[in-house]
Amino acid sequence: MWNDPVNLMTYVSWVFRRHFGMRREQAEHAMLAVHHDGRATVAEGNREAMERHVEALHEYGLWATVEKVPR
Amino acid sequence: MRGFQATEQGWQAIVEPEEARILLSLSRQLQSLLADSLEPDARDDGAVQRLLPDAYRHDDDAAEEWRRLSRRGLVERKVSHAATLSRAVAAPAVADGPTTITLAVDDALDWVRAVGDLRLVIADRIGIVRDGDEGTTVEPGLRDLYDWLAWIQDDLVRVFESTEGEGSHGE
Repeated sequence: MWNDPVNLMTYVSWVFRRHFGMRREQAEHAMLAVHHDGRATVAEGNREAMERHVEALHEYGLWATVEKVPR
Repeated sequence: MRGFQATEQGWQAIVEPEEARILLSLSRQLQSLLADSLEPDARDDGAVQRLLPDAYRHDDDAAEEWRRLSRRGLVERKVSHAATLSRAVAAPAVADGPTTITLAVDDALDWVRAVGDLRLVIADRIGIVRDGDEGTTVEPGLRDLYDWLAWIQDDLVRVFESTEGEGSHGE
């Protein structure tokens, strides 16, 4: 997830709870990490699953990308 | 317009004809922008890039493949969110006075996303790129619209939170 200056922090946090099923504190923490660091990893898994998350987040108007990490 | 209230009939808010006309015009423009976004030359439009960002930043082939597979469906869903907004405000826009609109929860979900998409487009048009940007004042009305839409989005999130929280409280 990438920080953007448009979406409200309350909205981003709500999307994390709704889409990922995060608890309130977890969603706030993730939202603040994106906000302060400019980006944060909010999900890890196989390519197809991550692409589905990205598509859903784009549908919410959030800026998300998939990145390959070595394992 | 005052905030939405969750009632047994659905989520209700009262909108003035002028407000409904603005929302109707904006949501129709959004639908037309989205329809055009599938054209190759739309990629240079900053608003389209915000509505439909690339899924891969450093892999052009993967980004292109993802676009090919998912973009049309994503555009169709975004158009349908904006259409839900248009439908709800069409009659209030031509009413003589304030109208109560009632949304089902699914409609509210479309609204919050369409309003968010409208803010992305306006942000591009007024040059809000980084945190803290105030936006240009070439068209002062746009900044006011941007803030008003933020208020609507925040209000919808507030109602979602108040209703979604019910199941988990007290367990």
